[in-house]
Amino acid sequence: MAEYQNLFTQVQVEGPTSMGIELENARDNDERTLGPVHLHLLGRLGNAQLGPIYLGFFGLASVIFFTIGFTSIGWNYLVQVNYSPIQFVRQMFWLSVDPPAPSWGLHIPPLNQGGWWLFAGFFITVSILLWWVRMYRRARALGMGTHVCWAFAGAIWLYLVLGFFRPVLLGRWSEAVPFGIFSHLDWTTAFSLRYGNLFYNPFHMLSIAFLYGSVLLFAMHAATILAVSRFGGEREIEQIVDRGTASERAALFWRWTMGFNATMESIHRWAWWFAVLTCVTGGIGILLTGTVVDNWYLWSVKHGVAPSYPELWGPVIDPAAVQSAPAVAPAAH
Amino acid sequence: MSPNRNILVALLVSGATLLLAGCEHPPVAHEQIGYRGTGMERIVNPRTVAANAALHEAPEAAPAVPADGPKATLLYKNLQVLGDLNVAEFNRTMAAMTQWVAPEQGCAHCHNPANFAEDSKYTKVVARRMIQMTRQINGNWQDHVKETGVTCYTCHRGHNIPEKSWFAEREVATEGRLLGNNFGQNRAGMASVANASLPYDPYTPYLLKANEIRVAGTTALPTGNKTSIKDAEATHGLMIHMSDALGVGCTWCHNTRAMAEWSQSTPQRVQAWFGIRMVREINNEYIVPLTAVTPPDHLGPTGDIAKANCATCHQGANKPLNGAAMAKHYPALAGAAKPADTLAERKAGKN
Amino acid sequence: MAMLSFERKYRVRGGTLLGGDLFDFWVGPFYVGIFGVTTIFFAFLGTALLLYAASLGPTWNIWQINIAPPDLKYGLGLAPLREGGFWQVITVCAVGAFVSWALREVEICRKLGMGYHVPFAYSFAILAYVTLEIVRPVLLGAWGHGFPYGILSHLDWVSNVGYQFLHFHYNPAHMIAVSLFFTTTFALALHGALILSSTNPARGEIVKTPEHEDTFFRDIIGYSIGTLGIHRLGLFLALGAVFFSAVCIVISGPFWTQGWPAWWGWWLRLPIWS
Repeated sequence: MAEYQNLFTQVQVEGPTSMGIELENARDNDERTLGPVHLHLLGRLGNAQLGPIYLGFFGLASVIFFTIGFTSIGWNYLVQVNYSPIQFVRQMFWLSVDPPAPSWGLHIPPLNQGGWWLFAGFFITVSILLWWVRMYRRARALGMGTHVCWAFAGAIWLYLVLGFFRPVLLGRWSEAVPFGIFSHLDWTTAFSLRYGNLFYNPFHMLSIAFLYGSVLLFAMHAATILAVSRFGGEREIEQIVDRGTASERAALFWRWTMGFNATMESIHRWAWWFAVLTCVTGGIGILLTGTVVDNWYLWSVKHGVAPSYPELWGPVIDPAAVQSAPAVAPAAH
Repeated sequence: MSPNRNILVALLVSGATLLLAGCEHPPVAHEQIGYRGTGMERIVNPRTVAANAALHEAPEAAPAVPADGPKATLLYKNLQVLGDLNVAEFNRTMAAMTQWVAPEQGCAHCHNPANFAEDSKYTKVVARRMIQMTRQINGNWQDHVKETGVTCYTCHRGHNIPEKSWFAEREVATEGRLLGNNFGQNRAGMASVANASLPYDPYTPYLLKANEIRVAGTTALPTGNKTSIKDAEATHGLMIHMSDALGVGCTWCHNTRAMAEWSQSTPQRVQAWFGIRMVREINNEYIVPLTAVTPPDHLGPTGDIAKANCATCHQGANKPLNGAAMAKHYPALAGAAKPADTLAERKAGKN
Repeated sequence: MAMLSFERKYRVRGGTLLGGDLFDFWVGPFYVGIFGVTTIFFAFLGTALLLYAASLGPTWNIWQINIAPPDLKYGLGLAPLREGGFWQVITVCAVGAFVSWALREVEICRKLGMGYHVPFAYSFAILAYVTLEIVRPVLLGAWGHGFPYGILSHLDWVSNVGYQFLHFHYNPAHMIAVSLFFTTTFALALHGALILSSTNPARGEIVKTPEHEDTFFRDIIGYSIGTLGIHRLGLFLALGAVFFSAVCIVISGPFWTQGWPAWWGWWLRLPIWS
């Protein structure tokens, strides 16, 4: 049955290579480089053609900055394992480049005291911003809207809040996320422990809701399009400007299921906003933590959000508080 | 089947085997800790528990001896702490200690067989101090050890040096090096934090020094708590050690929705709080001062003596020896209470 | 009648899985079908029980309402209604409503001549729910291991279950699931944005074509998966996220009882390192 569900391309037709829309500026066309090649496995899922890529000034600059930042992290990892390539692989998940200690505040420490974190962070940040410019310019060169780069800006917002805005507001780099696989997970848990349970942060709640919502929307949308692909549903632009039976069936499916349907265009607006708001609300939640709210659980208690559970044992009292008040100190020892 | 498909199947099977090799399987045993539905539970693998059962079994107490009779001081010399025992109890205690600490070497582990009274072996000096420590624990740390108390066996379990102890980690040399500072964390395979990449010496700051363990904000809005996320990571490391040592999860002591709130915590957290202070005292007052008499080959990479942490006694059980009350059978180890005020001072190191 | 201009010609009889013509009609925009009836039944009963159970509790504060599963001592048996019994009946209703909904989607697919991708995708969400509330509790031996029905209380459950394993982020399936959640959202943003940027081009430009879409993505990252491929990719990513979420919780407890960081021991002990 699966072969009728259009999950993979059954018969691949190898078409001519496309070098992309011809642009007026000759450099735009000339700087499309690398490849293209046709890969059968890619063709099973989507287009078989890999490449070409447009490099351009901003692309090249971005790649150079990223390479410098990324390899500086790699070199630190390598030295942490005494240049052993085997240990480099074995310990990969544990290795990390950490931000400076709290005592450095917003000063720039020596490279090996957290300076590498600033170094790598700076180069990767510049690389990301250059990449954003590149996306904007590519969209404009093709006469398209700039929705992609503004969505990307949402992710950059979250990234900058984590690594720059919030540490600056709190006056120390040490608050920022380390560059490491397990270490950034440690940071996440420590962040929640320090600031009284991130689950009680309403913007974290929103961000998670948008994250799950995005996955739900993509599953709904992608499944709907695939289900009407026998009617040409994947030709979305066409369906938007000239509605066909694919759009009609897709719309009616949801109308009959839940009483409401998006249109072929508006589903993409839902998608864009859900995905972007995941980052935007997440960034707000992080930015407020420590700057405006110090303990989200206590904040929630204050605002009547935290539930209370029946007590299963007598009152548990902070022994340090008992100790410092000699009048009630346990006498019998 | 095509060869490609064969390779794929082989890969899948070996991958699945590898994954399963890292895992356990049902049925498991459970215990409810908090109110229903809060997820405060304890899940243990009964097969692991059974395999470790022998470790947590207390040896049978030696037959009791009459409480009267001549004092040991009449017969033996150089009795500095056990002098008020009678001869029979003294001998019984010595025999028990030998079984607990040096079952293979026997008396000669601590004593010069030619002259039992002399202090020529450092092990005897250590043993004397350890008896004082045991009495201090049984007498003044009932907030942690309750009526159960401890004996030499609680930690030693038949070994000269308790199997679970810790040395300070050698600091990563950063002087004159341009790269590679790991900040005392991010190292693979550290048993102290059960393989996490958290700071791998959770002992020195909290079980030797009295660094602040509490990290969470104490007020809803910021009121000057400058504790950093790095401090929170270090605390998390200590908590992983404690959980690992006791064979429990965080919910044994905390409703994790509010880790710091005592009103949300279980009574075990109070006991654990005293335990941390007890271990600090054990290390600072009793163990570290013995560094001078310890032979260098028993010292750690930074020249420090093997010290105690939660695992030293607990060894994976939430009650050492599953709560067997051994101490009550050995009057020599019964606690001598100290004046309450010095104790209060000692415990008062807030946090 | 709430009908779209083109809707009438699609409203045909037939395609039902069960019940023939009996419930083969629409109410407003909604298709009914036998599974619509069972959906309504389970959903109404479950919601009513939620409300009734809430009325017996201490609060009507929407954040604090908590309908909790039974104590562990009841094992896999029935508990008194007020001691978790409500949770048990509500769970049955929820599964009934979700499965009915999926089957109703199948009927609608058949009416519209569509593939079954949506109910298939939805069944992954049901799988995740059933894993949390039924499979894992059964493997652990007590209904009390399910999560409670409450906005904040279910977060407390997540927190406590996570910290039972000391550091849940080290759960390998959780790592994969979270990565897939982020990747899906990332891909959704790119897809949504690409369609919007083609149909809402720069001022004065005409609407763009899939060739522009391909060119844009080849220009910026060197590969454009294409109009059909992006929906396959999106579906796989989204279902992968849900699937690994279910895996990450079902292995926590039944197949691993220690801290998740300790699980990585097998990797560090692999013979290939020496």
